[in-house]
Amino acid sequence: MTSISEQLSDALGIMIMGMGLVFIFLSLLIVGIGIVAKLFPAPVAMPTPAPTAPSTSAQATLDPKLVSAITSAIHQYRAK
Amino acid sequence: MEGLMAFWSETGVANFSGGQLLMMAVGCLLLFLAIVKGFEPLLLLPIGFGAILANIPNAGFTDEGGLLYFAYHVGIETGVFPLLIFMGVGALTDFGALIANPKTLLLGAAAQFGIFATLLGAIALNAVPGFAFTMQDAAAIAIIGGADGPTAIFLASKLAPELLGAIAVAAYSYMALVPLIQPPIMRLLTTKAERAIKMEQLREVSKKEKIIFPLMVLGMTILFLPAATPLVGMFCLGNLMRESGVVDRLSKTAQNELINIVTIFLGLAVGSKLSADQFLRIETLGILILGAVAFSIGTATGVLMAKLMCKLSGGKVNPLIGAAGVSAVPMAARVVNKVGLESNDQNFLLMHAMGPNVAGVLGSAVAAGVLLAVLG
Repeated sequence: MTSISEQLSDALGIMIMGMGLVFIFLSLLIVGIGIVAKLFPAPVAMPTPAPTAPSTSAQATLDPKLVSAITSAIHQYRAK
Repeated sequence: MEGLMAFWSETGVANFSGGQLLMMAVGCLLLFLAIVKGFEPLLLLPIGFGAILANIPNAGFTDEGGLLYFAYHVGIETGVFPLLIFMGVGALTDFGALIANPKTLLLGAAAQFGIFATLLGAIALNAVPGFAFTMQDAAAIAIIGGADGPTAIFLASKLAPELLGAIAVAAYSYMALVPLIQPPIMRLLTTKAERAIKMEQLREVSKKEKIIFPLMVLGMTILFLPAATPLVGMFCLGNLMRESGVVDRLSKTAQNELINIVTIFLGLAVGSKLSADQFLRIETLGILILGAVAFSIGTATGVLMAKLMCKLSGGKVNPLIGAAGVSAVPMAARVVNKVGLESNDQNFLLMHAMGPNVAGVLGSAVAAGVLLAVLG
């Protein structure tokens, strides 16, 4: 019976240490992610709105009928 | 006539023992769960079939020189199969949601409490006559609470190989049962108003961040927890192959062909450990019970941690996403999404739950590393 209580206190020690280490490790990772996010913010914020804006406007100006005419022309040309 | 007698003495009918028949029934039960109920069929089907093969009298599948013997010897005893699976999982995992909201790593950490609480529970079970778990056994059982199949198999193969069959079956069965086990706990610990909380949309994550992330995780593991590098290293390799975008062929192979091939042999090899003399013991019952406890505690602490974050952030975090902290990717995140939709049918939590979900994978790998470092 004494051995069980000894084992239990060992297990309790591993539990506290283990949870502590898991939390410390993942907290450090949070800090790391934060630093990386600060170091590379520009490619996130700047280019994402920039390319989307022209692409949507380009799509808007293209008439779907025109697109279908072009694709059918290409198909006919390739078929020859 | 003598030839006929010799033939008869070699038949299965003449050689069956009760235990083998019972284990074949267990194998058939696993096949039933996989095929009819659709529980983790990718693993339970080969495991169930492996259990049947391993219990055929006179077939010699698991004797030295047999197929299952080699599958186990080459793949699991060495720890190679679970690590290859982990590489595939890394290649399948998108850390975008986690990088966008890194605080969810704390949820993945909190849910690992299930592992360590079960360690205590397994040792406490030694007070019951018939149980004699060593600390290594207890650690291998406890890792079921990490809800991560490859991690559980890896740790069990290192710390308690004789319990591997029961641990693997328990781990995969409970992962399949996530949609049944988790929702009652989640509802019990949260109010309806909390479940209805909508979360802000996640920010965009740049490609550079995604490429640096696996390298950073690996670097930290090297510095602080080298015991976890087999698991974390293979995971990060898979993830880097995915995010770098220059080795699509390798990434696709790791995600599909390789992980599928390894899964077949991993399942068979685990099934081969379901032989009557190793499985039909009182310990197995204890492992199944402890596994369920580990899972439930992990879910509960994840939700409680998320509740705390909800209070501290002024109600911006939906406590439900904490439940996804017990890896079980992506099932746990889907469960969170489903329970969230019950309270507010416009509330889609899937992407928010993916953060703690993949954090749980890292968390259980770290926990496994800690246990391996202390007890290995």
